[in-house]
Parts: sequence; structure tokens; C-alpha cells
Amino acid sequence: MRTRLALAIPLVLAACAKGPAGDAARAPGGTMIIATTGDADVLFPPVTSVTNGINVSDLLFCRLAELKLALNTVDDAGFRPVLARSWEHPDSLTIVFHLDRRAHWQDGAPVTAADVAFTFGVYRDPAVNSPLAPFLAAIDSVTARDSFTVAFRFRRWYPEQLYDATYHMRVLPRHLLDTIPAARLATAPFARAPVGDGPYRFVSWAAGSEIALAADPAWFLGRPGLDRLIWRVTPELATAVSGLLAGEADAMEVIPARGQLERVQQATDVRLVPYPSPFYAAIVFNLRRPPFADRDVRRALAMAVDRETVVRSVFGPFAEVAVGATSPMQWIWSDSISQLPFDTAAAARLLDQRGWRRGGAGGLRSSHGAPLRFTLLVPTSSQVRQQAAVIVQDELRRLGVDMRIQPLEFTVMERRTQTGDFDAALISRTIDPSPASLLQWWSPGAGGNIGRYADTAFGSLAAAAMRARTRAEAAPLWRSALGRLNDEAPAVFLFSPRNNAAISTRFRNVTIRPDSWLATVTEWRVIEARHIARDRGAPRP
Amino acid sequence: MLRFAARRLAFAVVSVAAVVFITFLLVHAAPGEPMLGTPERALASPETMARQRTLFGLDRPLPEQFLRYARNLARGELGESFVLHRPVAAVLAEAVPNTLLLGGTALVASLLLGLAIGVVQAARHHSRTDTLLSAATLVLYSVPVFWLGLVLLLVFGERLHWLPVSGMTSAGLEDRLSSLGRAVDVARHLVLPAASLALVQAAAFARFQRSALVESLDAEYIRAARAKGLTERAVLLKHALRGALAPTLTLAGLSVPYFLAGSVLVESIFGWPGLGRVAYDAIFARDYNVITATALVSGVLVAAGNLLADVAVAIADPRVRLDQ
Amino acid sequence: MSPWRLAARRFARNRPALTGAVLVAALVLAALLAPLLTADPLAQPDPVRLQNQPPSAAHLLGTDPYSRDILSRTLHGARVSLVVGIGAALLAVTLGAGVGLTAGLAGRRTDQLLMRGVDVALSLPRIVLLLAVFAVWEEAPAAAVVLLIAVTGWFQTSRIVRASVLSLREADFVAAARALGTTGAGIVRRHLLPHIAAPVIVSASLDVGNIILLEAGLSYLGLGVRPPTPTWGNMIMDGKDVLFSAPWVALAPGLALVLTVVAFNLAGDGLRDALDPRAAA
Repeated sequence: MRTRLALAIPLVLAACAKGPAGDAARAPGGTMIIATTGDADVLFPPVTSVTNGINVSDLLFCRLAELKLALNTVDDAGFRPVLARSWEHPDSLTIVFHLDRRAHWQDGAPVTAADVAFTFGVYRDPAVNSPLAPFLAAIDSVTARDSFTVAFRFRRWYPEQLYDATYHMRVLPRHLLDTIPAARLATAPFARAPVGDGPYRFVSWAAGSEIALAADPAWFLGRPGLDRLIWRVTPELATAVSGLLAGEADAMEVIPARGQLERVQQATDVRLVPYPSPFYAAIVFNLRRPPFADRDVRRALAMAVDRETVVRSVFGPFAEVAVGATSPMQWIWSDSISQLPFDTAAAARLLDQRGWRRGGAGGLRSSHGAPLRFTLLVPTSSQVRQQAAVIVQDELRRLGVDMRIQPLEFTVMERRTQTGDFDAALISRTIDPSPASLLQWWSPGAGGNIGRYADTAFGSLAAAAMRARTRAEAAPLWRSALGRLNDEAPAVFLFSPRNNAAISTRFRNVTIRPDSWLATVTEWRVIEARHIARDRGAPRP
Repeated sequence: MLRFAARRLAFAVVSVAAVVFITFLLVHAAPGEPMLGTPERALASPETMARQRTLFGLDRPLPEQFLRYARNLARGELGESFVLHRPVAAVLAEAVPNTLLLGGTALVASLLLGLAIGVVQAARHHSRTDTLLSAATLVLYSVPVFWLGLVLLLVFGERLHWLPVSGMTSAGLEDRLSSLGRAVDVARHLVLPAASLALVQAAAFARFQRSALVESLDAEYIRAARAKGLTERAVLLKHALRGALAPTLTLAGLSVPYFLAGSVLVESIFGWPGLGRVAYDAIFARDYNVITATALVSGVLVAAGNLLADVAVAIADPRVRLDQ
Repeated sequence: MSPWRLAARRFARNRPALTGAVLVAALVLAALLAPLLTADPLAQPDPVRLQNQPPSAAHLLGTDPYSRDILSRTLHGARVSLVVGIGAALLAVTLGAGVGLTAGLAGRRTDQLLMRGVDVALSLPRIVLLLAVFAVWEEAPAAAVVLLIAVTGWFQTSRIVRASVLSLREADFVAAARALGTTGAGIVRRHLLPHIAAPVIVSASLDVGNIILLEAGLSYLGLGVRPPTPTWGNMIMDGKDVLFSAPWVALAPGLALVLTVVAFNLAGDGLRDALDPRAAA
């Protein structure tokens, strides 16, 4: 288990860190241009939902505490203090946070307990409509005990209380927001030009084009190493990579196409920084529909897919076969989780047994005259998933199964899967560091359980894992639950990409936390000898 | 003349209204619904989605939604973007000038280049130069604009490093440049996307120019000019070219749809923050108000182009009865 | 000699036009015979070891990222381009001629109504409409692409046809036919159609190239005819990421596209010159 955990700790790029660690603190400066294929939606954490919006607002607003790189979501030791200097658990249903008195909003006002209580109210307000509200359901109340002490009261005890209290919410400035009606918060001017309490302050946002942040030299946890962060929106991935290779940009969060990754690999001024991705892709079967209600048919299809071929063809070395409904980012990840083997002969036998015999034109299997045929929905927005689908299609054809691919525009596909109007769908799930997110997708009645999978054995394993007091107790239970899921095959878990950030070799001290790639950016530095025009001089006040 | 222009103008307004109506129907009748949060990242519950629908009035019957939209439009309100959480007018105010800069530059460049090639060809028609240029313009005219854009980007941007490949400005340098320096910076960023758009259209203009000029060289008034002893060059430049001016303006006016279509592809390849990209993103996010508004602006631009073409024809050819 | 035969003779003497026509014929033939000439365009012999292979004896134009044969895909892609290009152009011209004829022959009010409608339609931002429709169309078959491109592309033709009809309506031979008691339908069939055919044919043949480019642009954006059905646009998209390491993936469909459009434009120019000698220079 220890070795598995080591995998989840991202690489620290020590190779380029010249000199003692101490000089890093003394040599701030420099600008990092980040190329991104999408703009932000809005910079108001309760409603921000687009990746780039989250990346930017994460640096403007602080959490009470941050997960450390290991992403241990259970133990207090997995967190480091940010707005909260310390915390304690007076009883099993309460956490009391003591705020850091040095923390202040960028307009000068201190960050207070009243801000925290106000923030909880905003996230939970139906008029605000935060997609994060369901994650706060176990918190009963948040009350300010004094200006710098705030108490969270839970409805029940569970090991991830601290995680739920700190991870989902970023504290908001009450004095700037409490006069705005809740329904208007997301569209208020504040949401496009926010005042935060983070290491960076907002400078400008030209929609569809550029967002600029500047370091707050007076940030209470120390001045960040880079003076400016500028996001450049370049919708075409190939162009973004060209800009990176030409030195117009310094960094990209992830390069999701193998061909582009290979271009960067050959470059000398840019390097790839691999980190476990926070998502996995899977073919989800709709159990409401006839062939998939049969567990053996699902198992046969799962065994007929050569996931290794899919992964190597689409990603080359840049992804892993998924071990189940998790990714190497989560602490429950393990390659000892039991999986169905790739075994076309066993798959064929199983289908024969269930009455799906070859005989139709082109060796197509059928049962009582009905051919074994289904349609797989794939979003047009995902090149890699479309590629994977095409390869799976060919593999199933050899088994005598006719899988048709239907690329759908993303929102249309979302609607079809949400309403159950599909046979199978190649989905991608972005997961939280917490394994509790497993239940959102695979427990009966959960909104994300699009295939209507329902299994009591899985449910009781997961429930036991949720109650376990320590990670050592919980991990085997979670892994059994994942194994049970693999065995039941409500889905074929295809791959979990190894994300690769591309970062100019001008930067050192680069670490990446998988769930939030810029979480440690305050420690990144530009190598002084490699300052270029955009690094020099003081930023505009 | 004024009455003619006024009638055409009134007509343009009707056209734009029709465009808005058709687009509104089309996007609302389409399956799928606005992307209210990205469910693959943070799962929006069915209740959250339902609340959003109510908030934006998407649960009302279609005629009611349209009436409300029309009422707001009459007051000059374009509504709010579901995805960007801001007024549509603000989104367009940022994007439209950028597209006008890109499209305008490309239009002028393609007109000048097309005219020049056409004149050279007409002056020596049936020479080897003429044949070569004909072949070149034919091929260029047949190249897909996105293919040309990709090739220009790879060759002049990434391989040769002559020109920047993405955006309108050099990130991180804007505040360190003088206003002249900033203008030069934008101009450098403009070259590749504008060239991608302009080269293809220049080929179209050149093909048209050549045949128009060659034909007019046969016209009677040109023969008369030649009879007066003017040199062939003077005849071409003074008389024939003047005769070709109005058709060129017409063509320029009618080429607006080409530039709009091209800008969707070119803006996305070069990361140019303009209307084409706004439209493309909005269509895929099913951002109804933004789609309808981009159709409105596109409709206005196309109608303006048509208007220009009509007026040019009317001025050039007195036989067109203005009151028709 | 009939004017048609004269035109055919002029066309045959026009070398570029003839080249274009031969190319078009060859393309159509290749597209028709694609299933006989080449392997299955969807077959993936080995998507790990045989992807992005350079041209070789086994794969004359190399393989794509799925190990599929590019020659086969290019030829099959021609089917989509040609069906969409020719089909949409024919349909658009038919629609345009129909509306143009109706407007030209019917009374003043119908004429006004139709032509004002056409004026409005000409202001429609075609690209926005096509994007919006195809973005939501789940499984747009080639027929749908044909239909939509045609429905948004007949307006100019209807204007041309109406203008010809208006000028012909007062012509002596039509008046004579009417005096002889020929019915309306007879006049249209025997006298009007032959005369408006020339401009219509020219406009259709020049449209084909533009429509092929439009379809390629849409499928480059991932719209219209969807993968894995090969189209030149989605083949270029497949090759975009490996443009440096495996340039043949995007080059083959790109060149095929340019060649086809050039061929149609050459043939179209030739038709125009042949049918309208005045324009020949």
C-alpha cells in the first residue's frame, strides 16, 4: 500500500533547482503565460464550473485549509493551514477553526469568521444555485464564535468531515457581497473583477482572450514567486502547442492529444511534467435496456475489449488502463483491485451460453432473431474518446457484436444520458480526491448513476468504507467495492490518462497537485539567468 | 437616390428581423439545453437544472419566450449569456471590433491584391504570365481556408518564427509597449489570420477582375479611347478600371458571408478573439441568447454588404431604375 | 447546327475545361469503384503497431492514427464530397429554378412576395445556421447535409432565372407561341427551359466546388457527416495532430480536396465560356 501511495505523490522537479532552497524566497519575479483552450466562465467560486475559471479563481480565493500533495482526505495530517491557522474537534460533530489574523482581503479588510459563515450561506442558498451545494449536505450549520473563531456543526460523524468543511468552499468577502441579492451574485460586477484574499489579485479579463493576475506582495503567507500569471485563450490545441514551442506561452495544464505530446517531447525549451489525472473514461451500459440487464452479457462485452490496445493506440505511453472507477490520483487506487481478464474465448462462450449465437450476416450474433447490436454515444468534443470508440467497435465486431458509434454534441449527449435515452455511453468522470465521490456515480438513485446500476453488495461495502475510522481500514473496503463493480460490469472502465503539463524549462521548483495543477504555484520560480522581456521590470501597479 | 437608399434600408431591417426570428426558432427547437454547469466536473442535480430553467424562463412555452425576447430586443436588450453570466451586449462589444479589424483588413487586402492581379492579367491577356496567374488563382481559390491557415501557421509561425501564431497581442508585454509599439504588435498578430482569409478571397476577386476587364477592353467607349490615341496602359488604368470599380464594390459587398464563414474557422485556428469564435462556442454550449445575438450581428453585416452592393450598382449603372 | 452542339464543340476545344471534365469523370469513377479498388476504409489491422505508417507497397498512401488505409479512405471520402457537392448543387439549382420560374411567370404579387423572401434569405448568415443545425443533428447522413446546404443555397439562382424569364416572356417567339395557342406549361417546357438552362448549368457547376469546400469545413469542425465514415474534412482533422510526424495523413485528403475543387472550377469556367461565348476571352 505504501508504494501505491508514493505513486500518488507528484514528481518534484529537483533537477533544475539550482542552489539552495533559500534563494528561491529571495528572488521573486517573472511572468508565466499559460495557454488554455477555453476561457473562464465567471470568477465567483460557488458557481464557477469551467476548468479555467476554477484554475483562476482558486488563486484569488483561499480555503480554510488545503490538501497536501498526497491528497489524503481522511486524516487531519493530510491538510495544511491556510485561512485557518489551526482547528480542533471538540466533539464528534463539531470542528472549530481559528482564523489566521494576518489574512486580509485585497481591499485591506481582515478575513473574519463572519465571512466564513456568510460563505456557507451563499453556497447553500438555492437562489445562488451552486453545483457544490449537495457536497455540503452533511454540514448542519456554520457559526462565528468571535471575529476569528468559527464552528462547523455536522449532522453526523464521518471521517471526511474536515475535507467537506474545507475542500468545497472558498471563503468570500461578506462586506463586498452582502448587499447583492443572492440570485444576482453570479452576474454582479464582482464576479468578473473579484476582490479576493489569495496570493494573486485580479488585474484584467478580456473575454475569450486573456485573464491577468498579479502577485499580492503582502499576501499573509508570503509573497508568491511569480509576479504575474496570464492565461491566454487559444481554442485550437495545435495552435496552443505551436505558441508554447515558439515561446509565446510558458505552460499548459494538460496536452490531451498524443500527436501534440510527441511534438512537445522533441522540444528542448519545454518539458512534460506528468501527473495522475483526476478522471477516468468508461463505457457505461444502460441497465434498463434488454441486453445489458443481463450481467453475463455485460461481462462478456467487458472481457472482449482489449483495453491495453485501446490505451496504447490512442495514448501511446501517456495513459494507463483503468483499474476501475478510480484514478491514480485517489488514495484508494491500487493495481491489485480485481478486474475481469481480456479473454475473447471466454467472452464468446458466455454469449453462446446466454443464447447469443453467431449466425447472422457477417457473423453477427443474435438471440431469438434479435441481433446483438447497440449504439454507443460519444461526445464530439472529445477526440480521444472518439478514437477509443472506433477501436472498441472493431474489437467487438470480431466477437460478432455490432456496436454503432453515435457522436453527439456534448449537451445533447448529457441530456440523453440523464434521461436514460441511450444504450451505452462513453463517458468521462472527473473525480474528487475523496473516494466518497464513487457513490455519486454508482449508488442507486444518485444523479450520476445514468445506467441505473443497483447492487446491494457494492452498496454495503461502500457504506462500511465510509464509516471506517482510518484509511488503513477504509482502503481495502473501497478496493473490494471497486472490484465488485468490475465484476458486475455496469461499465467497461477503459483508461485513466496520465496527464502531462507542458512547462517551459525557464521554471524551476515545479510541483503539481493532481486535482488542481496550480495549487503550489506560489513556490514556482523563473530561473534568473533565463528571464526574458516579459519578466523584466515591475508589473503595472 | 435617397428614397432608394431608405427603401433598401427599411428592407434590411426586415431581413435582420427575419434572421432573428428564424435563428430563435432553430436554436430553441433543437435538442439539448444550455450548458448549465459542466456536469462532468461537478454534477448538477436535476433540481439544480430545473431551477436554472425557471430562472431563465426556459420552461415557458416557445411563443411566450419569443415574445419576451422580441420585447426586450425592441428595447435594445439582448439578454444575458447563460454560460458567461454577463450581458450579451458586453460580449459582442468586445468581439465585434476584433472581427471587423480582421475581416476589414482581409477584405481590403484581398481587394487590392485581387485588383492588382486582375489588372496585370488583363493587360497581357493570353500571355504566359496571364496563364500562370490564372492557374495560381484557380488553385488558391480551391484551397480550403482552414488548410491554408494551418499551413501558414506551421511555416511562418512555428518553423520560421517570423510571426506570432496566436491571439491579438503579445501576452505580458502590452503594458511595456508604447502605443505605436502596441499597434505594431497587433499588426504582427494580424498578418497570418488576415492572410489566410485574404488570399483565398483575393483569388476570387482576381478571377472576376480579369474577366470583367478583358470584356470591358472590348467595349465601345474603350475602343473610342484607343482611337483617340491613348496608350494601352492609360486606357486600362483610366477607363477600363473605372468601369470595373462598381462591380468590384458589389463583389466586396456580397463577399461579407464569405468572411463571416471564414472567420469561424480562422479565428479558432489563430485564437483571434472575435465574433466567429463567440458564435462557435455559443452554439456548442447552446447559449441561446448569444447565438441569436451573433446571428443578429451577422445578419446586420450581411445586410450592410448587400446594401453597399445595391448602392454601388445603382451609382454605376444609371439604367437600373432607382425606384424599382 | 444547334446552339448546344456549338457549345459542346467550343467546350471540347478548351483544353483547361476538358482537363477539368476528364478529372471530374475520373473522380466520379474512382468514387464509384472505391469498394472494388481498395480495402475496407474502416478496417484497423493493428491500431498500435501499424498506426501512422508512411506510404508503402501495402498502403500506397500510408496509414492513419487507427492503422486504416489512407488511399481507401481518400477514395471513399470522395463519395461524400461528390455526393454532397453535386447533389446539393443540383438540388439548389432545381429549387432556385423552380422559384425563379414561378416568380417570373406568376402575377406581380406572387413575384414581389417570392423575391422579397429571397432578398431576406440572402441576408441569412448561412454559416451560423448550418453550424447550429449540424451541432445538434445526432446522426446527419449525407442526404441531410445535401438537403441543408441546398436549402440555404438556391437564392442567387432564383434571381438569375427570374431575370431570364422576365426578359424572355416578352420575346417574340414566346408571344408567337402564345398566339398559336400553346399552353403555359408547353411554353415553359419548350421555350423557356432551354433558354434558362445555360446560366443555370454554369451556376451549378461553379457551385459544386464551393459546396465541397463548405462540407469539408463543416466536417473539419466535426459536424455534418460524422466519423468513422471517411470525409476529407474529418481526415484532415485526424491528421492535424500528427502534421509533422506523419504529414501524409492530412496531406492526401487535402490534395484530393484541392484537386477536386480545381477540376470542378475548370469545368465550370469551360461551361460558362462554351455556353456564353460573349464571356469567353
